[in-house]
Formats: sequence, C-alpha cells, structure tokens
Amino acid sequence: MTSASPTITVLYFAAASTATGLPYETIPVPSEGLLLSSLPKLIVSRHPSANDLNHILETSQWSVDAEMIDDPEFVTLKGGEEVAVICPVSGG
Amino acid sequence: MESLNHAASTEAHLEVPAGKCVITYSKLDVEKILSTVKDDGSGAIVTFIGTTRNSFQGKVVTRLEYQAYSKLAIKTLATIVDEATQQFHRSDHQPQNETTKSPPLLKPVVYHRLGVVPVGEPSIVIAVSCPHRKEAFRACEYILEEVKKRAQIWKREFYEGEDERTAVWKENV
Repeated sequence: MTSASPTITVLYFAAASTATGLPYETIPVPSEGLLLSSLPKLIVSRHPSANDLNHILETSQWSVDAEMIDDPEFVTLKGGEEVAVICPVSGG
Repeated sequence: MESLNHAASTEAHLEVPAGKCVITYSKLDVEKILSTVKDDGSGAIVTFIGTTRNSFQGKVVTRLEYQAYSKLAIKTLATIVDEATQQFHRSDHQPQNETTKSPPLLKPVVYHRLGVVPVGEPSIVIAVSCPHRKEAFRACEYILEEVKKRAQIWKREFYEGEDERTAVWKENV
C-alpha cells in the first residue's frame, strides 16, 4: 500500500538513546492520531530487547515540537511532530 | 569510544532583553564571559563556575560528556534568566525612588558547555552584574539551581577501568 501513513520523529537523548541505540527514529502513527500517553508502550514494543527502556520512559518527561508537555493525556499526535523523550536532566 | 554526537545536540545562543544564553562545544573562557557583563553602572559581578570533578564514589572519572536538546534547552535557559531578572530586580536596601528613576541593571549570562569536558574544566559559567550585591548573589544561585533542575542537558561520566558502553548518565536530584 502506498498511502502515506502519518509519522512522527522521536528524539532520544541520554539514557533513552543508550537504551534504544538510536538518536532518533521515525514512527508511524494511526491516521486518527495517537495520544502522547500511548507512545511509551509503542516505543517499548519497537525495542523489545532494549535494557530498562520501560523504566526510562516512565521516569521521563516529554516535549512536542520543542515545548514541554504537562499532561501527555491531553496531547494527540497527528503526524509531523518532533517528539523528544526528556530523561531526568543532569546539566550544570 | 562510543560517540555522543547527536544531531540535535548543537551549539545555540539566544539573547533576550533579560540576558544572554549560550550552549557551546568550545572551552569556556571565563575572562571573556565576564567582559560581556561588565557595566560601569554596576557595583558587582557575581560569578559561578562549575567544573568537572575527578572522582565519584571512589571511582576515577576519566572524562565527562554533555549532551543537550539544544533547541529546547536554549529556550529553557532564556526563561530562567528572565525569571531571575523579574524576581531579583530590586534590592531590599535600595531606595524606592531609585527604582522609578532608573531600573537596576541586573544582567545575567549563562554559558553551558557540550561534548567532552576534561576533568577540572568549567562545564557551566553564570555571571550576573548588578548595582547591588545581594540580588546578584540571589539571581546567580536561582539560575544555577533552575538550570540543574530544568535545562534539557545531560551528563555522562566515564570511569577508569570500566566498560564505556555502561557509562552512567547522571541525574540531578
């Protein structure tokens, strides 16, 4: 099928990047959209052997198009977004 | 060596009315940074220089690497600088009428380094110039604490004699 399924770009940093072995990946989302709160499960299903990924995602925050998200339950990804997994930070 | 080169971990700078924020792979030049906040109307420059430590829980740290989601981190730094100038713009001992005549020049800059930072070199430099020392100290501490809490920047420590692939990403608590 050639229909262009919508996709999002997911950026991984720090522990999330080490666990997935990727700096980012492109992930298809359903045409009706995907709740941001459902994304962790989808990411884990794509990396079944990634060490500790579930825990890393559970303890992370999320950004969409470079804005921090307060409540992932209220954000629907429709395709085209840049989503980032924001692991606990350690700057300074 | 496992590379941390990340396409989204780029250099970035943002100047807002409140101050200046820089994320850079270059070595931080403290003198040069101080010269950018110097102001003849200010009576003080408070500076914080965070440097990398050579040990952690008895292990020898061979190197540290910083990574950022620069596009977002630079906005976070600017927000923090803006909050600091809003909160600490007036000293307790400053006469009220001085505020109305000329607003105090609280002028913060924040520099954060990325990539490999050799032990002993600065990873962060915060400088705040201000007519009165108290609010400069407060603003500097506020900026440091909030950067550690909120800026989308991560540090990884590599220890002597340990597999690099298992090097730990730190978490500020």
